[in-house]
Amino acid sequence: MNSQHSSSRPNSSSLKSRFTLGFLRALKRLNRQPSSSSSPPQTVSSPREMCRRYLRIRIAADASMASAVGSRRAWSRALLLKIRSRQSRSSNSSARRVSMKKKCLGEKIKKKKKLKCCKEINKLRKFVPGGEAMDACSLLDEAAHYIRCLNTQVKVMTRIADN
Amino acid sequence: MGSHDNEDMGFQHRNEGTLNCPSSGMSTNPLPEKVSRMAMSSGSIFKPSNAPDPFFGSGWDPLVSLSQSDNFGGSSVASQSEFTNPPYPIAMETQGMSSTSHLVQYPSDSSYVEMVPKLPCFGSGSFSEMVGSFGLPECAGISNPGCVANYNPNRDGGIDRTSTMGTQSLDDRQVSEEGALGSSPNGRRRKRVPESSPNKNAEGELNKDMSGESSDYLKEQDEKKTKLEENTAANLRGKQAGKQTKENSQSGDAAKDSYIHVRARRGQATNSHSLAERVRREKISERMRLLQELVPGCNKITGKAVMLDEIINYVQSLQQQVEFLSMKLATVNPEVNIDIERILSKDGNLQNMPITAPQFPSLPQTVLDNELQGLFHMGFDSSSNIDSLGQNASRLKPEQ
Repeated sequence: MNSQHSSSRPNSSSLKSRFTLGFLRALKRLNRQPSSSSSPPQTVSSPREMCRRYLRIRIAADASMASAVGSRRAWSRALLLKIRSRQSRSSNSSARRVSMKKKCLGEKIKKKKKLKCCKEINKLRKFVPGGEAMDACSLLDEAAHYIRCLNTQVKVMTRIADN
Repeated sequence: MGSHDNEDMGFQHRNEGTLNCPSSGMSTNPLPEKVSRMAMSSGSIFKPSNAPDPFFGSGWDPLVSLSQSDNFGGSSVASQSEFTNPPYPIAMETQGMSSTSHLVQYPSDSSYVEMVPKLPCFGSGSFSEMVGSFGLPECAGISNPGCVANYNPNRDGGIDRTSTMGTQSLDDRQVSEEGALGSSPNGRRRKRVPESSPNKNAEGELNKDMSGESSDYLKEQDEKKTKLEENTAANLRGKQAGKQTKENSQSGDAAKDSYIHVRARRGQATNSHSLAERVRREKISERMRLLQELVPGCNKITGKAVMLDEIINYVQSLQQQVEFLSMKLATVNPEVNIDIERILSKDGNLQNMPITAPQFPSLPQTVLDNELQGLFHMGFDSSSNIDSLGQNASRLKPEQ
């Protein structure tokens, strides 16, 4: 799929470019969003603002990354779900439902976890989004793809930040 | 008899504890007699028509009982068991004796080829293999995994025995299996034998795979390969209640059905659970290898735990990098113009990472221009909610 060879192609449909576009778009939105930074070249003054902005940017990065990957991967689906549920936390009900579903699934998966008693594998679950609900085999699969995408993300963000 | 002599030599060459099977075959050996005795006692061993399936699952049981029932003669058995590695010395030997033909040496006559069955693998059930190779009911129930160990003894014993196979097969099921499958595996085996070079060469070839005991492996390997379908069929049998095994084995070479064929390795257990477990383990190690390539500096690491630790550390560090960069981006308030340039540089640099700034304009801009325009339009949209990214996701989906 594209996402696997994306980094080598300038193609607009590559993962990297998709992520870049999405992320930059989000950044623009974020920059225009807060009232304090309405005039572009204005540094955020209060640390609280900065912190909020940082969080938003981080979420934007993750979300745009997951969007660029799409729903093909379990981890991107889980990540998008998490973000959306967090966004809709204000509405509460949907978030709760989502979290409940995750819990049930997680319990079912505990059996699989026990089968694979490797502790490291369980540790890895925490880092890969959606890793709780996967068995060891697919977890490693998702981890490989996730690492690739993280690499892309870091490269793109480095370029943005360095520019 | 000349061939037999060769076999003998091969035996000795191959195995320390050669049985010293006389060229005359089974008859001369005391063992075969016992085997035949056992065979008789065990009942309709050879009858291919016997319903083999029930035995498959039990694996070694019949063998054990056989061995126990008939004491072949400790010494001879012991000597035979020397070759065979591990697990089923006695059982194998008896089988080996019976099967005569066994694997033995490739260069030996084609007659051996027929004999070569995969006797040894009693345990699991890939009788199909056994049957195939023998054509005789003899040690039918040899499935690959168990076979390896079995091969050795059988081979040694069996070389000479070629002819008298019929009588010796140990297990009923084996017999039945063999009978059913006999033809195809034999054909395959024949192919194998001529391909393989004389004993020594064959050994060299085979040794690469296994611990390289000797020619035993060669034969086993070849047979295993030939019998892959059969073995898998047999292996699968355990998993699937044996329904497909027969069919698979009978289909012979063309047996690559929808199943994932697994070959049991030497000295490994062959029940369905361990086979499934092994498949799972192989999958996991395959994925670990892929991960190893992704994570830098992990080429030298061997071992799952250490590797996983490295992977975890790497993922953690990547995530921290993303956080740090987003913090940096938060503090540095990017300008709109800069964004465009970044896009340019980014897309331009997608092809070649190290690009100096002045070269940006020279990069293909036509494509970028389109993207830029799109970006501008998008960027100035009113939607400030990150949820819109979700919408973008749905929009992007079709592209993927």
